[in-house]
Amino acid sequence: MKNMQISNGVKTKNLETGRLGEAIAKKYLEDNGYHVVELNYRTKYAEIDLIAYDKDVLVFIEVRTKIGEQFGTPEETINKNKISRLIRNAEAYIAIKNCQKNCRIDALCVVLDKNRKVERLNHYKNITL
Amino acid sequence: MLIKVSSASNSGLQTIAIDVEVNVAGKGLPAFEIIGLPSKAVDESRDRVKTAIINSHIQFPSRRITVNLAPADIPKEGSFYDLPIAVGILASVTGCQLPGESLFFGELSLDGTLRHTRGALLLSLFAKEKGIKNIFVPKTSANEAAIVKGVNVYPVESLNQLLSYFSGETDLKPAEYIEVKDNWMNVQAEFDMAEILGQEQAKRAAEISASGGHNLFLVGTPGSGKTMLARALAGILPSLTEKESLEVTKIYSASGRIPPEGSLVKTRPFRAPHHTISRVGLIGGGTKPQPGEVSLSHRGILFLDEFSEFPRSVLEALRQPLEDGSLTISRSRERVTYPSRFVLIASANPCPCGYLHHPKKPCLCTSREVEKYRKRVSGPILDRIDLHIDVPVVDIKELAKDRQLKDQLEPSVIIRGRVIKARETQKNRFFDDGIHTNAEMKNKHIKKHCPLSKEVRHLLQQAGMNFQLSARSYFKMIKVARTIADLGDSRDIAVNHMAEALQYRPRVQERE
Repeated sequence: MKNMQISNGVKTKNLETGRLGEAIAKKYLEDNGYHVVELNYRTKYAEIDLIAYDKDVLVFIEVRTKIGEQFGTPEETINKNKISRLIRNAEAYIAIKNCQKNCRIDALCVVLDKNRKVERLNHYKNITL
Repeated sequence: MLIKVSSASNSGLQTIAIDVEVNVAGKGLPAFEIIGLPSKAVDESRDRVKTAIINSHIQFPSRRITVNLAPADIPKEGSFYDLPIAVGILASVTGCQLPGESLFFGELSLDGTLRHTRGALLLSLFAKEKGIKNIFVPKTSANEAAIVKGVNVYPVESLNQLLSYFSGETDLKPAEYIEVKDNWMNVQAEFDMAEILGQEQAKRAAEISASGGHNLFLVGTPGSGKTMLARALAGILPSLTEKESLEVTKIYSASGRIPPEGSLVKTRPFRAPHHTISRVGLIGGGTKPQPGEVSLSHRGILFLDEFSEFPRSVLEALRQPLEDGSLTISRSRERVTYPSRFVLIASANPCPCGYLHHPKKPCLCTSREVEKYRKRVSGPILDRIDLHIDVPVVDIKELAKDRQLKDQLEPSVIIRGRVIKARETQKNRFFDDGIHTNAEMKNKHIKKHCPLSKEVRHLLQQAGMNFQLSARSYFKMIKVARTIADLGDSRDIAVNHMAEALQYRPRVQERE
């Protein structure tokens, strides 16, 4: 929660965009029959945007939000490094909760227009395989 | 669920069993890992297998997949693990029953079809040796594997086809056994012996070389027809026997030289590497030792044109393979033995300018240069060559005159007939000795098959004194005489046979 207090204008704006994207993602997932269990899960060991159940598979979802695509797509921001961090976070969660379920990691890419309306939303399932 | 799929891996001409264990876990994050010392090609098989399964319209399991290649301490090379890995994954996803006693082998293409994979014959032989009934190989490699009797070789076209066979929807028939018949092909030589004018002695030497498998060294001025003769020699070779063909095919299969849909190698190899060849290129080698030219010309001819232009270190490496007929390539990671029973045909000029002993043209070399040139080929190598022959200049007048004479010259077919007959004699003689030709005889064989009369022995002893024959040359003379006697359809080695054999000793080096 420390991050929220950063007074830097740009950072705050990005954070707001991110929060907005996560809210959009949550709604999208719930509309698609997912049961969301955690939003913005943060501990010393893990930071996960969204955790939901797709039937009985536990899904960790990384939400990437961008306003306009002229400065790069949200997909581009998920690189190898990011994926290995996602895996580490997910494994930490599995360990903490002693989860015995089948799991996977998804990515949700949200692009907003100037008026903060959803321009496109892509759901990439199982990005680590 | 844990599935075990059997496969086998080739190292040189040796095959070892590899178990591919595929575990698809019921919990944890999805992943696809291969363990058991995979090399780069094996590690990349993950992406091939995954994409091939997806492109075969089969759901790729989003589970934690662990593949173990056992025994885990042997480094794994090659692309043929694709099929066993894919089969293991599919079996655990679809729950279909895999046939027992089966080996799987093959490289996958991204579209789910199988590609021609090297070494299918070795796999088939291994299956037979171990009593494994079925092997599943790519369709394009099936002809190669199907020459082994008693093994069901299933030609697999694609993953879908294999899956529907496992589930019993369609039938997959084993490839028909390809009988190793004697409908061999003879080497299509570039030249016919009848095209070569003059050079009767050289032709005779070529005939002896082809009959008994003797090494031949042709020395002559430029343009006298050394290369032509060597190339024509390929055309008088007898066709491969069943056993020889299998030996050759094994080497070619292991090194991936059999084309897709290809089967037995039916012609005797004729290899003519350029003199810039490296030592590894000639002998074989590499971290994963590959056969070199000496092994690729096994049971055939290795023609080294411009013999004295070869680097000395390359030529000296020929010593053991020439003598033993096989060679072991030792590297830190593995040791591989390849057979190398070839006939060496070498050709060279007598001196740097090429015109030494030319009847008209003067030789421009100094005696020092000539000596230096000769020294490029070492004594031990020359000592291992049975037949040394000078190829003299052909008279231009003769060339013009011989137009009509050409029809009277013996074509290769007739010469080959005599060669085949001589080989037949040798085959009967060495029936239970495990060798094929006179040149392969060891001392004990010589003792057994080449009794010398008093006169012949006397002649040989005299020649030995005069020529200072080495012990090896001494026995080589007997072998050559044996071949000449075989060509002459004579049971015993007579004086004239031995006398002819002695003619093929290297010319005594004149020193000034």
